[in-house]
Amino acid sequence: MQTNLRSKVTNAKPSIMSDKIDHPQLCQWLNAVATSRDKQAFTHLFQFFGPKIQRIARNRFPNEAQASEVVQETMSNVWRKAHLFNKDKGAATTWVYTVMRNVTFDMLRKIKGNKEDNLSDDIWPVAESMVSENESFDDHLESKQLLHVIEKLPEAQQQVVKGFYFMEMSQEQLAVHLNLPLGTIKSRLRLALAKLKMQLGEGHD
Amino acid sequence: MIKHHPTFELIQSFVNGDLPASLSAGIAIHADMCPKCQKQIAQLTDQVAEASFEEAFLDRFIVDDSEDVNVLAEFDFDVMAEQITASNEVFVANEQLDKTIVFNDKTYKLPRALQSMVMGKTSHIGKLSRARIQLDENEIHTSLLQIEAGGSVPEHTHKGFELTVLLDGSFHDEQGEYVKGDFIMLDGSHQHHPISDNGCLCYTVANDALHFTQGINKLLNPIGSFIY
Repeated sequence: MQTNLRSKVTNAKPSIMSDKIDHPQLCQWLNAVATSRDKQAFTHLFQFFGPKIQRIARNRFPNEAQASEVVQETMSNVWRKAHLFNKDKGAATTWVYTVMRNVTFDMLRKIKGNKEDNLSDDIWPVAESMVSENESFDDHLESKQLLHVIEKLPEAQQQVVKGFYFMEMSQEQLAVHLNLPLGTIKSRLRLALAKLKMQLGEGHD
Repeated sequence: MIKHHPTFELIQSFVNGDLPASLSAGIAIHADMCPKCQKQIAQLTDQVAEASFEEAFLDRFIVDDSEDVNVLAEFDFDVMAEQITASNEVFVANEQLDKTIVFNDKTYKLPRALQSMVMGKTSHIGKLSRARIQLDENEIHTSLLQIEAGGSVPEHTHKGFELTVLLDGSFHDEQGEYVKGDFIMLDGSHQHHPISDNGCLCYTVANDALHFTQGINKLLNPIGSFIY
C-alpha cells in the first residue's frame, strides 16, 4: 500500500483535481450538514466516504470491527464538526481525510500504547483555518462577549448573523437556505448589526 | 531565519499519520513557525486525500470477495448513518487557554501540539533543566530541555536519532547557529556540542541515550540518559 500511495502522490498535480470526484457536490453536502443539519446530505456523504474509509482502515487495523470503528468515529465527527470545515481553505476530501487520519492516529495509539490521550487534534487541527481567518475573533474574551451579545438578539436575527459571519454564507445563500426574500435577509442583518454596535460600543465596524 | 526543516520523507509520513506522536508533534511545532513547510504539508494533504478517496485507486486493493464486503458494508452503513444523525449534538471547541510551563522562573508558552500532553516534573543538572513528556513510546524519549544562558550539553553522539526543535532562544554547535523554529534531526553519524549563550528552550525527541565522546566528559555518560 505504501509503495502505491507514494507513486500516486508524486504523480498527482496539486492544481488538477481528479474528475472522478465531484468536489463541489461534496462541498455542498458538507455545508448543508453544517448549516442545517441536513440528514439527507449526510447520508450522501456517508455513501461516498463510508465504504472508502472502511477499505483504507482495513489496511491499518487487524480486524473488521476496528475498521468499522474508524468509519463510525470519523463519520460522527463529520456530523458533529462539519461547521469547522472551511471551504475556502481546501476541499471536502482534505477535511474528511484529516478527520479520518486523526481518528486512526488516536485509535492506533490507544491499541498500541493503551493511551487515551487523543493528541491528534492538537497536532493536526481540524478547525485551524477558522481561527486564523477571523482576525476579529482572535481575542477570546472579545469573541465570548460578542457571542453573548448575539445570543440576546431575536431568534430571526440570530440565524442571519450566525449564518453570515460564522458559516460565511452569502446573503443570497441565506435567502435560499432560510426560504426568505433577499430583502428580508438584508434588513434583518442591518437591524442585527445596529443592535450589536450599540451593545459593543462604537469602533467595532 | 529558520534554516533547518524536516525532510520530504518525514513530512510525507507526518501527513499519512505514520509517525509516533513525539515526532508528529515536533513537525507540527516547526510548521506552526514555518510557512514554507506549512504550505508543503497543506499541498501534500490535498494530494493524499484526493488519492485516498478516489474509487479506482482503492479498488486496486480489493482482490477478492469485494461484492460480499460491499453488500455487508452497505447494510451496516445505513444503520450507522441513522445512529449518527439521531444525535443532534454539535461539537463545541473548548475555549483553550494558552498553557505555559515555567523553568527557573522563566515562563514559556507551550506549543499547541503539546497542550494535552502530560509533563513530568522538572529535574536539574547545572544549567540544564529537563521535563520529560509522558508519551509512553517505549525507547523514544520526549522532553522539554532548557539551557540557561552560558550553558551547554557536553560533546556527544547518538546511537539512534535525536530531534531538537528550538522553541525559544538560540544555541550553536560546530555546524552553526540555530534559531527559534529550527528543526534539527541528527543521527549516529553526527557528533556535536551545543552551547547556548543567551539561553534556550528545546523540544527534544531521542530514541536512545546520548553518548558523550570526549575526555573527561566520558565520565558523564550516566547523565546522558538524564538529558534525553
